[in-house]
Parts: sequence; structure tokens; C-alpha cells
Amino acid sequence: MKKNIYISMILVSLVLGIMLSTQFKIVKKSGVTVQRAEELAAQLKQLQNEKDALLKQINELETKINTYEEAASKSSVITQALKSDVEKYKQLAGLTDVQGPGVIVTINDSKQAVPPGQDPNLFLVHDEDLLRVVNELRAAGAEAISLNDQRLIATSEIRCVGPTVNVNSVRFAAPYVIKAIGDPDTLEAALKLKGGVVDTLATWGIEVNIKKSDKIIIKKYDGVIKFRYAKPLIEGENK
Amino acid sequence: MAYIITISLLIGIIIGFLLPINIPSTYVSYLSVAILAALDSVFGGIRASFEEKFDNLIFLSGFFGNIILAGGLAYIGDVLGVPIYLAAVFVFGSRLFSNFAYIRRYMIDKMRRK
Repeated sequence: MKKNIYISMILVSLVLGIMLSTQFKIVKKSGVTVQRAEELAAQLKQLQNEKDALLKQINELETKINTYEEAASKSSVITQALKSDVEKYKQLAGLTDVQGPGVIVTINDSKQAVPPGQDPNLFLVHDEDLLRVVNELRAAGAEAISLNDQRLIATSEIRCVGPTVNVNSVRFAAPYVIKAIGDPDTLEAALKLKGGVVDTLATWGIEVNIKKSDKIIIKKYDGVIKFRYAKPLIEGENK
Repeated sequence: MAYIITISLLIGIIIGFLLPINIPSTYVSYLSVAILAALDSVFGGIRASFEEKFDNLIFLSGFFGNIILAGGLAYIGDVLGVPIYLAAVFVFGSRLFSNFAYIRRYMIDKMRRK
């Protein structure tokens, strides 16, 4: 009898020990400690400040470049032609403020109460929803698009980062305002297609508000476009 | 008795650290409730052995039964969206303390009698 007690006690303690250490291992491995999170938050804030300062510097330098270009273009016909070329390519690349008729699309999270058991994620605006709207606008011939005043250019991303969406590495939360320059009627019709983007989003109660306007100003892309890896392929070379 | 428990517990902990057991982090809450149940059973067993009412079958079935029930309840609670595991935490927690109080009194009594 006495021996049995010991055996079962040993067995039970062994199992308990294994469970305890397993749990300890998992808890230790998973999860960021509060201290670490604070540290990272402070770092992030500092870097954001630095970034803001650098952006300011970029803007200052750009105005300087513009004045130089202005001055140079006056000196001869060639430089004047070059200057107009530069202007044209800048516009194509999204580096100038543009204006024209178009639509302003405001997208906001659903205000419906989430029914129990339903995934609350379905009632929020996601990167995919924004991408679909932007894609539809592009298909309808939009010439310039901005999301919350971030110009969408060739390298722009729209990506969920936690509860927010990153555009041109700038974080935004709902509501999202998409401005697009193009034929207002075509743009609106493209979005309001039956079974189209707005229809789908409305199922989840996501608010989509489309406003046509005769004059929309879309700001230029204020980041830096730099190719580090892509090099132009000159014909006759590298074949 | 105490030595046996401590030593085997330590051996268990070491085995647990050495074995590459990995449980997905979603199941961590079930394991923690199960650990509470197991702790409760161990304390209950110690108390029973002091009372000399210890029954091997009751002890072992209680240990494994409580673990399975607590983990299962936590799982069902997750599925239903009701935090049933709180019930397990409450019951096992309060029993843990009452068992510990009993053991404490018994040991102090024994020391005084000497």
C-alpha cells in the first residue's frame, strides 16, 4: 500500500514537472515583453521624428532645385526644351501636383454591430479592399490617384500593418480618402458596377462614399525614388 | 514523502526542458488550466496522505481526469465563446488554497506535538 502511494506520487510529480517546464518554455518563447515593446516604441518614435526632419529637408532642397532649373531654362532654347521634358516626365512619374476633374472616394469601417460568432475583421477596411478600389479606378482610366494624400506611383504599396494600412511607408487608419483624376462619370460607374467593389463592400456594411468633383488637386509623391538594383539596359549591350 | 515529490518534480522539469515538446501557442491556455488541475490533485493527494485516507485509484483517476476535464472545458469554452476555464481556475484555485491550509495546519500540529 505504502509503496503504491510513492509510485503514483512519483508518476504524478513527473507529469506535472514536464507540463510545468513545457508551459514555461512556451510562455518564455512566445510574446514580446512589455519592456521590449516600450523600447521599440521609443525607437520608432525617434526614427519618425528623424524621418519628418529629413522630409522637410527634401522639400527645401527640391524648391532649390526648382529655382535653379527655372534660372537655367531661361538661359537658352536647349535648356528650355530640357526643362519642359523634365516637367513632362515628372508629371508621368507623379512628382508634380496635378489637378483636374475626378472622384473622391471615402471608405470607412463598418458601423454595424458585429454579430456574435462573426469575424469582426470582415467589417473593417483591409488593404485588399483598397487595392481593389484603386485597381478599378486604374482600369477606368484614372490618371492620378492618391490615398489619404499619398500619391500612388509605380512603387507605391498598399499593405495592412496591424490595424493600419501602409501607403508609401506612411501609416493610415480608417477613414481612407482616395482621390482620382479622370473622367468622373466613368470612374464612378466603374466603382458602382453591379457585383463590383462597392457592392461587395456594402455587404459588410463598409461605408463607401463617392463624390464627383470638377476640380481635384492631387499632391505629388514626396518620397525619394531611387533605383538601387535596376539598371537601364542599353541596346546592343549585355546580350 | 516531501523529498520524493520534490525530486521527481525536479526530474520532470528537467525532462520537460530536454524533450523537444512543442505545443502551438493557441493551446497554451488549455495547458495552463491543466497544470492548475494537476497541482490541485497533487495537493489533494498530500492532504489525503496526511489524513491517511489516501487511495491510489482515486488519486490517479483524479489527477488525469481533472487535467482532461479542465483542458476540455477550456477548449469547449473557447468554441462556445464563454470563458468556462474561469470556472476551472476558480474551483482549482480555491481548493488549492484550502488544501494548502490543511497541510500547513497538520504539519504545525505535528511539530508542536514533538
